[in-house]
Amino acid sequence: MRDSDVLDKNPHISRSALEAIHSQVFGWALSRCDYDQTVAEDLVQQAYVELLTGKARFEQRSSLKTFVFAVVQNLARSRYRRIASRLRLVQAAGEQVADEGFHPAEPDESKMLWDTVQQLPQRQRDIIELVFCRDMTIEAASSVMGVSTGTGRVHYDRAKKALKAKLSERGTAR
Amino acid sequence: MNESDERMQAALSKAQAKQEAGRAPDFARVWAGAEQRVASRRRRRGMIAGSVAVLALAVVMLMPYGNDIRYIDTDELLETTSWSAPSDSLLPQHQFDIYGEIPVIIESTETYGGALL
Repeated sequence: MRDSDVLDKNPHISRSALEAIHSQVFGWALSRCDYDQTVAEDLVQQAYVELLTGKARFEQRSSLKTFVFAVVQNLARSRYRRIASRLRLVQAAGEQVADEGFHPAEPDESKMLWDTVQQLPQRQRDIIELVFCRDMTIEAASSVMGVSTGTGRVHYDRAKKALKAKLSERGTAR
Repeated sequence: MNESDERMQAALSKAQAKQEAGRAPDFARVWAGAEQRVASRRRRRGMIAGSVAVLALAVVMLMPYGNDIRYIDTDELLETTSWSAPSDSLLPQHQFDIYGEIPVIIESTETYGGALL
């Protein structure tokens, strides 16, 4: 960690360390706001503001990635809750219109899998995303989600079962 | 994590990477924006603090003082024979005559051994 890099109000965080996890943080922010690019960028920027002002203070109790993910999660919960729900409504309306017009002959396998994950309940979706896609342990993922490790484990098991069930349903349906 | 979980993880990572590919904005740009927000927040706070200080100073400077100081009228005060404390309003009879309450002193003119009884 270069000294000049260290944040004044957050001595355990450096700009370069944040830069290294920036794309992952942005990915997490994207999934927090229904993949809206502008809202996600604003969310990440606000998270950096919290770190710069020391309002969110990193005490090295977890990894930096876990900490920043938790900051993004908390901001998304409080600040973007209303915006996200509005966006969901708008997107739902948009999807209805899109469904009527476009039906690909050969559905994309990875998109189908992603859509199946998106259908899971919020907590299950979050833990699957954090553990499977963001390379986090169940413990770290639970900490980001603000739940105990035991609860996180329950969500993880249920999510895996639900996902497998949904995928086998789709498999047999085709 | 068993083999089936690992397969699912690989597939999901691929799907997620596809969803987010090339979407992350430039770090330097986002960081500069954050720094700008912090600076403007500081400026705004400074302006608010400055305005409050100016307002407080104006209030102090414009406050009437000196000639307008009121004194208690001594004559009026001496003529008063009754007084009630604000807390006395809780009592059933909250006013009393201070002269009326003075106990009657029994005077004796009889003497005994050179002293008044």
